Amino acid sequence: MGSEIFNLTLADKLYRTKYETNTDHTHIKVNDEICPKCDGKPCTFGCPAEVYKKNPNDPNRITVSFENCLECGTCIKICPLGSIDWKFPDGGMGVKYRFG
Amino acid sequence: MTADEKVKVDVIVVGGGPAGLSAAYTMAKAGLEVILIERGETCGSKNVGGLLYGTILNQMIPRFYEKAPIERPVSKRTIVFLGGAEHAALTFGDDQWSIPPYNNTFIVQRSQFDRWFSGEAEKAGVSLLEGTVADELIYEGVNGERKAVGVRIRGNEEFYADAVILADGANALLTEKTSKEMNLKGGKTKQDYAVGVKEIITLGKGKIEDRFNLESNEGTAVDFLGSPFEGLIGGGFIYTAKETVSIGFAARLESVIHSGLSPNQIMDGFKRHPVVRKYLEGGELAEYSAHLIPEGGYRAVPQLAANGVMIAGDAAGLVNMSLYKEGTNHAMESGKTAGETAASAKAKGDFSSKTLGEYEAKFRRGTAMRDLKKYRDLPKVLETTPELLSLYPLKMTRMLTDYFTVTAASKSETQKKALMNFLKGLPKFKFVRNMIRGRKVL
Repeated sequence: MGSEIFNLTLADKLYRTKYETNTDHTHIKVNDEICPKCDGKPCTFGCPAEVYKKNPNDPNRITVSFENCLECGTCIKICPLGSIDWKFPDGGMGVKYRFG
Repeated sequence: MTADEKVKVDVIVVGGGPAGLSAAYTMAKAGLEVILIERGETCGSKNVGGLLYGTILNQMIPRFYEKAPIERPVSKRTIVFLGGAEHAALTFGDDQWSIPPYNNTFIVQRSQFDRWFSGEAEKAGVSLLEGTVADELIYEGVNGERKAVGVRIRGNEEFYADAVILADGANALLTEKTSKEMNLKGGKTKQDYAVGVKEIITLGKGKIEDRFNLESNEGTAVDFLGSPFEGLIGGGFIYTAKETVSIGFAARLESVIHSGLSPNQIMDGFKRHPVVRKYLEGGELAEYSAHLIPEGGYRAVPQLAANGVMIAGDAAGLVNMSLYKEGTNHAMESGKTAGETAASAKAKGDFSSKTLGEYEAKFRRGTAMRDLKKYRDLPKVLETTPELLSLYPLKMTRMLTDYFTVTAASKSETQKKALMNFLKGLPKFKFVRNMIRGRKVL
């Protein structure tokens, strides 16, 4: 029991964070022309919410779970080719910290 | 839209964090008409923090701590040096830190604290536009005469003002866009960032006060030197709130990329360290959050004022990443100074770069910039001397534990062994040089 706090998956953790998602509008777009040229793909591990994952069918491409985004901006800074087009979610949408 | 229908105020502030709210509050108190645009549903809902130094806020709202949602004051501090399994700690405090004005050091939950501050700004007369995204500035004029005259929000509505104060935080998309658009000068070095990840863990008041040895009116900030992963440059912290503790780890982005670890893995490694673990045992996760921290310091501070524009807070990179970890107070100083400058610009009827430049001149002479200047070499030191935050804390704790390791050997043998262990793998000249550089971290 006592050790649960040390074994949470990221999904468990994000479940505790409050979001209001604009399901029909992604605020993150990855450039499909540029992104496949990137070998390291630091977004796939550098994002604290693991929004970016290698596409299982084509590891050169990535999938984006924008609804998990914590809006920190790390991906914009670490993408070596500038292939992430990141806008703020619409007003009042996205992450809503209760503690912060 | 005809000219009559235009909504025009004195100043528009973008961003309802400590910088923007300080600016808006100061201007409203001076009688200016102010709109503050915040993209979160409420001010604070996108913000992450923990430690608040309150010297500037106390100038704006005397004895703010009597009404603001303060979790606990910081009545003592601990610095922990982390090794593999060894550790060493230094705890210090003063009874005075538990009574007003609490050494000006507080633990807050930013979502609640910023929301409170926005209420004070609103009472002072600020019009809050929450849940609103400012997408771009509106300009007039060309070349050197070009000036910002308003803000276009998402949905294409426009608001006009004599000046715009950009306080859009660390992920400063609008400041970056505006800097390009207006050709503002960057800092001497480019801005560097750390990514901070934080968890709010509910432990309950009783456990917190027992584990951290606190009275109910006391709190503590524990800072960790040393890293859960070899070579990773960053640092961790635990702050005690009333019913919860905040635990976080901030790592430099280059270091994260180099490590191949995710910030969440780094956080888990830190939480599972034997010393850290004991504080959290039996707790429940209440929230997981992440935020960028500008770490470039003094040299990365850009041009702060132009025609109709001032930049404040994290958007200007005003963070001291030394052991003080001061950001909110610097944000408030910049916001307050920008607000005062706007008030005198209004009196003169001139919002050109000449008048608004007084903000930059005054702010650069102030306490925040003097502090940032003192630590101006810190980013470079961390980059060129990664040992400071990984190998040395390890060496220091090892030396102390070796010194007190009890065996059948004589004390002089034990101490000699401790010293030999300490020096092993430490090139002597480099060590001396690094110690000299190390002063810049403290």
